[in-house]
Amino acid sequence: MIKNWPTTFACLLVILFGFALFYIGTDGFQAFTAETARVNKLIDDKPKFPDVTFEDSKGRNYSISEFKGKYVFITFLYTSCTTVCPQLEMNMSKVYDKVPSKYMGKDINFLSISFDPARDDPSTLEKYRGYFNSDGETWRMARITKQAELDALLKEFGVIVIPDGNGSFAHNSAFYLVDKNGSLVDVMDYKKVDEAANKLVDILGKEAGE
Amino acid sequence: MKQTIYGLLLLLFLALPPVANLMESVMIIHMHMQMPMLIFTGFLIARIFQLRFPHSFDKWNSNGIPGIILFVIIVVYWTLPRSMDEALNEQSMEIFKFVSLPLLAGIPLRDSWKRIGTVGKNLIIILFTILFIGMGWLYIDSPVQLCNNYLVIEQITLGWGFVTTAICLVIYLVYTTFTDPSKYE
Repeated sequence: MIKNWPTTFACLLVILFGFALFYIGTDGFQAFTAETARVNKLIDDKPKFPDVTFEDSKGRNYSISEFKGKYVFITFLYTSCTTVCPQLEMNMSKVYDKVPSKYMGKDINFLSISFDPARDDPSTLEKYRGYFNSDGETWRMARITKQAELDALLKEFGVIVIPDGNGSFAHNSAFYLVDKNGSLVDVMDYKKVDEAANKLVDILGKEAGE
Repeated sequence: MKQTIYGLLLLLFLALPPVANLMESVMIIHMHMQMPMLIFTGFLIARIFQLRFPHSFDKWNSNGIPGIILFVIIVVYWTLPRSMDEALNEQSMEIFKFVSLPLLAGIPLRDSWKRIGTVGKNLIIILFTILFIGMGWLYIDSPVQLCNNYLVIEQITLGWGFVTTAICLVIYLVYTTFTDPSKYE
């Protein structure tokens, strides 16, 4: 054993290196997928919502300042999506129902943003909105017509959209919460409806109590 | 010496942007072809180190265990969904992949493999069989998209790739258990 000490030492060194590699590589054993890492980083960074022009289902044009002084609860989708988006929007509508209506439009707005502006024109969005009981006012659906603005937003909020070649997109989904000053404050799991709703009610309640 | 040159040439070829982009465009090729080939380049490059510094290897890796642990650590690290995603999104991670797999996995594997003996070899193969079944199950059964850069269908393909490899390893283990290769040599 004594004769072998360099090898034993090398063994320990290698194990230490491995531990460090995994520790750094997964942010302290927190994030094993890039998606978790992305969400953690967004919550730390709190990026500002970039200046983009929306065109909503009623054909109105405005920027994010339309919602100044209110929280905005955001999802990204495209209406031709047959997999995750309907589920995402269905869950969003459940969150919408759970948040007391006294806050709606006054302290918070819901916003679904399409990243497929070519197909999702106002009339398509108008029809789509009906499936989820969105009223088009306190919960709006909008597209961003300028591709450069859309790309900037997706990049800022870490939304990765890959066209699959058959007219569909693969994309990561989440609930995004932007605060009164237009900064991203939280990214929530879209499958955990109750958790998201409770969080919203909590935040809005605190604001009202002040 | 020749082996080292071939290894370096292969590494250069794999690092050519069009070749790297092509291989990385398909998830299963990225993990089950590009990464093993990178390890293989290290395997070839190792020759020059063995010729130049035979004593260092004898001293620091006398029983082959440090080397094989290093190999396992690097390989397991690169089977994490996050590492693969980051290699595509960040230049520095991509460089780390091209350095770590040949240098920290390929070279130690070659030096350790002949040192760890039959029992050690079989243990490593059993370990990777279990790991590959686990990873296969993870990639096939995962309800979410693990890598942002790849579609779920590619993830499932990769999962079956892992399972298939694991089956091959099991066949090998059964074969070595019930036959005595030295009889046929």
